[in-house]
Amino acid sequence: MSSSCGKPSDIEAASKAAVASAGSGGVQVTNFTELVDEVTLHFQIIRLAKQIYVWIGSESAKLGNLYAAAPTRPNNTVSVTSILGGASDNTGSGIARRLVLKTGLNIIVACNIPKNNPMLEANAEKKLIEKLITLGYSRPKSQSPGPELSSSLLHSVSE
Amino acid sequence: MGGLEQRFPVPFKNFSVQIKGNNTDLVICRYDDHFLVMATQIGTMGTILHARKEEGVAVEPTFNVSVIFGKRDEPMLLAITRQLIEHISSSGSSMPLVISLGLKDHSMETLKGIVSAVVENRLW
Repeated sequence: MSSSCGKPSDIEAASKAAVASAGSGGVQVTNFTELVDEVTLHFQIIRLAKQIYVWIGSESAKLGNLYAAAPTRPNNTVSVTSILGGASDNTGSGIARRLVLKTGLNIIVACNIPKNNPMLEANAEKKLIEKLITLGYSRPKSQSPGPELSSSLLHSVSE
Repeated sequence: MGGLEQRFPVPFKNFSVQIKGNNTDLVICRYDDHFLVMATQIGTMGTILHARKEEGVAVEPTFNVSVIFGKRDEPMLLAITRQLIEHISSSGSSMPLVISLGLKDHSMETLKGIVSAVVENRLW
């Protein structure tokens, strides 16, 4: 059993503001913080074999609204659903939708950024996509989508 | 940033265990207002459940456990979630739990394996 720990008492591992990445078998966790429009945004990307979980936080480290999004047959459109919070405020659902559109990945997004701030949302999304491309989890826009697009939300739930 | 080193605000643990011969990847995160637990054997998050403690008048706390995404007909997933929220509560925390379970089998042995692996590596 391999483990990597991120408790508050573990200063070395958790104190880096730069990219911190820990891998264990099929799961890669990447945490980073960026200053965007004078707002501090925290990003957490957890890559599973066939799905990616993303958390975006600002100021506080609350979980925020949870959305699930995936490419949907037959037209390669995108389906998004809110699974926690997000009833009166759907900040983050657009991010989930566009992440799938641009990357073709099956995505779960937890979004805790201030509402009524479309610029911040757009910038957060941009940073996220840049990082996903840097990490190699998705293809740059210029290439055409690959076979991953045939996966669906339903498939992700059962084996 | 001068001399101030910023720590990432979400403590987390990422590890793997073998349960009944299946490689199980686990991630545990502690946000300001939730615990997140991910346990997967299938490469995706699988079914996502939510559990919280209810504030009531009774001396003993009650808990609300529900599936928010995925399989709604697998009681073992609810059982794992309930065991964990009860453990969180008895450890003194009132924070709710979001847990994702992508499991290949739903046997008692797997339930016990998941619960003990999470409790051993808990962040509460």
